[in-house]
Amino acid sequence: MSEQKRKIHPHKFTLWVAIGSILMMFAGLTSAYIVKRSQASWLMIEIPVMFWYSTATILASSVTVQLALKALKKREMINYKRLLVVTAVLGVLFIVLQVAGFRQFAAQDIRLVGAGSNASYSFLLAISGLHGIHVLGGVVALAVIAIRALNSSTRSYSSVPLEIAATYWHFVDALWIYLFIFFTWMK
Amino acid sequence: MSSETISHGHAAEASVHSHDSHEAHGHDHHHEESFLTKYIFSTDHKMIGKQFLITGIIWAIIGGLFSVLFRLQLGYPDASFPILEDLFGKWAAGGRISNEFYYALVTMHGTILVFFVLTAGLSGTFANILIPLQIGARDMASGFMNMLSYWFFFLASVVMFASLFIQTGPASGGWTIYPPLSALGQASEGSKLGMDFWLISMALFIVSSLLGGLNYISTILNLRTKGMSMTRMPLTMWAIFFTAVLGVLSFPVLLSGAVLLLFDRNLGTSFYLSEIVVKGEILPNEGGSAILFQHLFWFLGHPEVYIILLPAMGMVSEILSVNSRKPIFGYLAMVGSLFAICILAFLVWAHHMFVTGLNPFLGAFFVLLTLLIAVPSAIKVFNWLTTLWKGNIRFTPGMLFSIGFVSLFISGGLTGIFLGNSTLDIHLHDTYFVVAHFHIVMGVASFFGMFAGVYHWFPKMYGRYLNNTMAYIHFWVTLVGSYLIFWPMHYSGLAGMPRRYTDWSNWQSFNQFQDMNRFISTVAMVVFAVQILFVFNFFYSIFKGRQVKSENPWGANTLEWTTPINPGHGNWPSDIPEVHRWAYDYGKDGREFIPQTEPIGADESKH
Amino acid sequence: MSGYFIFIILVLAFVLIFQISKASEYVSVLKGEEKSFKQSNRINAFMFILFMVLGLFGAWWCNELLYDRTLLAQPAASDHGEKIDFMLWLTIIVTGVVFLMTQILLFWFAFKYQHSEKRTVYFFPHNNKLELLWTVVPAIFLTILVGFGLFYWFKITGDAPKDAQIVEITGKQFNWMMRYPGKDNVLGRKNYRLTDASNGNALGVDWEDGASHDDIEASEMHLVVGKPVQLVINAQDVIHDVGLVHFRLKMDAVPGIPTTLWFTPKYTTAQMKEITGNKEFVYEISCDQMCGSGHYSMRGVIVVETQEEYDAWMASKKPQYVTVQEAAAPAAPKADSTAAVATATMSKPLAQLK
Repeated sequence: MSEQKRKIHPHKFTLWVAIGSILMMFAGLTSAYIVKRSQASWLMIEIPVMFWYSTATILASSVTVQLALKALKKREMINYKRLLVVTAVLGVLFIVLQVAGFRQFAAQDIRLVGAGSNASYSFLLAISGLHGIHVLGGVVALAVIAIRALNSSTRSYSSVPLEIAATYWHFVDALWIYLFIFFTWMK
Repeated sequence: MSSETISHGHAAEASVHSHDSHEAHGHDHHHEESFLTKYIFSTDHKMIGKQFLITGIIWAIIGGLFSVLFRLQLGYPDASFPILEDLFGKWAAGGRISNEFYYALVTMHGTILVFFVLTAGLSGTFANILIPLQIGARDMASGFMNMLSYWFFFLASVVMFASLFIQTGPASGGWTIYPPLSALGQASEGSKLGMDFWLISMALFIVSSLLGGLNYISTILNLRTKGMSMTRMPLTMWAIFFTAVLGVLSFPVLLSGAVLLLFDRNLGTSFYLSEIVVKGEILPNEGGSAILFQHLFWFLGHPEVYIILLPAMGMVSEILSVNSRKPIFGYLAMVGSLFAICILAFLVWAHHMFVTGLNPFLGAFFVLLTLLIAVPSAIKVFNWLTTLWKGNIRFTPGMLFSIGFVSLFISGGLTGIFLGNSTLDIHLHDTYFVVAHFHIVMGVASFFGMFAGVYHWFPKMYGRYLNNTMAYIHFWVTLVGSYLIFWPMHYSGLAGMPRRYTDWSNWQSFNQFQDMNRFISTVAMVVFAVQILFVFNFFYSIFKGRQVKSENPWGANTLEWTTPINPGHGNWPSDIPEVHRWAYDYGKDGREFIPQTEPIGADESKH
Repeated sequence: MSGYFIFIILVLAFVLIFQISKASEYVSVLKGEEKSFKQSNRINAFMFILFMVLGLFGAWWCNELLYDRTLLAQPAASDHGEKIDFMLWLTIIVTGVVFLMTQILLFWFAFKYQHSEKRTVYFFPHNNKLELLWTVVPAIFLTILVGFGLFYWFKITGDAPKDAQIVEITGKQFNWMMRYPGKDNVLGRKNYRLTDASNGNALGVDWEDGASHDDIEASEMHLVVGKPVQLVINAQDVIHDVGLVHFRLKMDAVPGIPTTLWFTPKYTTAQMKEITGNKEFVYEISCDQMCGSGHYSMRGVIVVETQEEYDAWMASKKPQYVTVQEAAAPAAPKADSTAAVATATMSKPLAQLK
């Protein structure tokens, strides 16, 4: 069994390939954004303040998921469950803050979609929206793990599921940081 | 990545254990499987492969039938077929195919064959069936994801099939769905609800092929049996590996393009739309770029061509070698050329866009890279030829189709040299020359690869043979028919005849090919009938075919032929065999073949 | 009725083939697998040679039948077209040689090395020299083709000569509209929001731009032989493509993104009638990009003529601005039939004018 230890778990490997795949999607979108930016009728977008809060939230959630993993490995089950739930809640909070951010646009009378909308803002919505869906996927994964953990009948100490979920969680976090810097930078 | 995936992947779990520890427990295939878990929600890679194959066959019949219908229009533009009105109602009023119907047929023919048949049906089938069997694994890395992959494909199929019955018809803007045509319901009937169905179906399809592709990659990289180093893998595995890499990296980009198109269609955004007056209506959209979509589309679209072609190349390499009783010539060059094609596939997409007003300097760059692909392609062709040279060839049906593949790949590949050169593309772009080119090289050739694979691995799939006589008829009629259909099309292309025209009779420049079109249509119908013969042979032989008596009917070296004739879930009843050599020791030291499982002999010659 | 008849025949043929196939399988089992394998192997090997011979003959015959109907049989009608034709022939020759060589080898090998008990195969897994050979040789030929190709590509896509005549062509579902810049050789500004076909402004020209006042609109394109022309290509609704087969050129028409294309016509329409021996000959503009249900009917006509003929045609045309003005003035006589103008509703563009 020692040989297996050295090898990366196939599911983890699969996740890394999936991350590459998701990255391609966002690379496609951001390069489309860059191409469009060089064209006429492009508006400089103002990142709403709310996005700073959401960024902080998702960063914090990355820390908590890592702590949860640590707790699991130390068999601190109560702590582990608590941190898991906190992470999922932070994920949901992130989405809420993102939505709030987009509502700020509406307050400024900037149209994201529909007649009179500008592609620069539509891009922001489309790209962050797709990212949000990926965060939601992560929340679902964490929720499933959390439910399993809270349900005492299936007691499992395997850290692999959480390790995979945590890697994914860090990935969506990093992806958002990239997008956030991208949007701010591209001004 | 849900934890669901992990907890359900028992099969993979088991395979990791047994292959690493080489314990004798094998797999628990003793427990009874219900009909539902065995045939429907199966996690066995072989069953999933068969599901892909049979779904693909059904789609191929539908897609092929569509081509027969629009060939009727092209071959007999003045005739009327009352039966069509009985079948299709308003779409064929008066027994004549309406323009909307024609364009819907063409679009669906392309979509179905490119994605549902030659992507899912071809690489979905053979990646699933062959990967664990040829690398020596009990199953895929995640059987559950694999099952999901099929069911997403099934859902995509259902949505696409449903779109055929929409009041305003399915998508009809060509399989490339260029906006603004595909974005504006006002511009075309097919761009109404049918287009949304198309996009939703494609999104599901993309999810399916991503789930599949992720699995193929991680299985090939992680679950190879002991001794199966990457350079000992059969070429089928290399080809499928590169195919999966291409798919995993290019499909997401199409998804992003499709999402933006959905936004434009339903939320009034202006990603692709700008300054449009359609049927007198002035649209508010400004600042979009229709060309942007083409970049996103072809960034997938071109690798897609190789997603279709590479598995066929891999299978043909394997089958040519097995039936020439001779090693594949230049194994490493074959792998290298697959790799080169895989890399270049990502760098040539804009050669579909030479006449969109592309920057000429950018165009020059893409010409160079495009024609560079001819080099690895040439290496492959000459290596295949050398594999046949001084061999001892058995013309099994799989071998016939493999030789046919090489012939078609040469014919279609050479016309690619015309189209990849931007200067000539100005003249030949979107003419019948293009139609002839890609049908031969990626359509028919890939089909030949697929047929070769089906004939060759049918004994492994069902423990029976396909009927040889029907196979010979199938091969010869299809080969001759394909050339008869597509060879003359080059000439109409050289006359500048544009594609996607329902009728040329009003044109001074293009109306001189009526007799040729009638001939092509007739041949197309004959070829289609012969494909039906194949389908019949296929289903008949599953139940009534001649039974396979030996584990290794073709005398092949690869691992799948060391499994029982009808392998169970887990493939090998006892230990997974260990691999000691590459897959192509045919005719070495006077021995006809030396299986991969045989240790290197003390006095064996080196090569 | 005949449809059903054909259907029945087809089904019968199917059953027949199926029965024969099944029977032959039984026969092969009786004869012994080995013997029937040898027999079918010989037949298939022979078929490959037969296919090759008949195929080559068929290719020649196909060429006999169809060559004269292609553009290969007539000279290119533009200077760029001549370059493209040269490239085409060069590529045909290079690929033709490779085609013949590889296909003949393929089928010859298949025949020659068909299974025989006596043969022992030659174990030949790789040979670096050979592999290098067929990496380098194709690369050299491709370099030549790329070299020529790019040389011409830059010529064709390069800037149009300064004295080039400018013609604007706009595609919409499903016809082409032309606009000439008039005496000032400047096309008037456009704004798609002003498009109003029923009031004589199908192209969305901004009449406030003085340069537009002498612009002439037409449904046919007239060009002067031997004089370079630059097409400014637009689309109103979806992507179209200006396909000029006789000039061997094409360029997409993209809404919102104008494209250009230039060339010099070499023969007048009348000359082409003689060259092709076709009295009905016309230069046609085809739409080469799928644009909707009427895609196949989106035909335009180009008349290439001498300078005198062209001047005479031009003189017969009235600037669109003038037509619109006349139609708008209530006292003015009805506008000539070339502009489909509804006089009653002319007030709107005029309001925009003021």
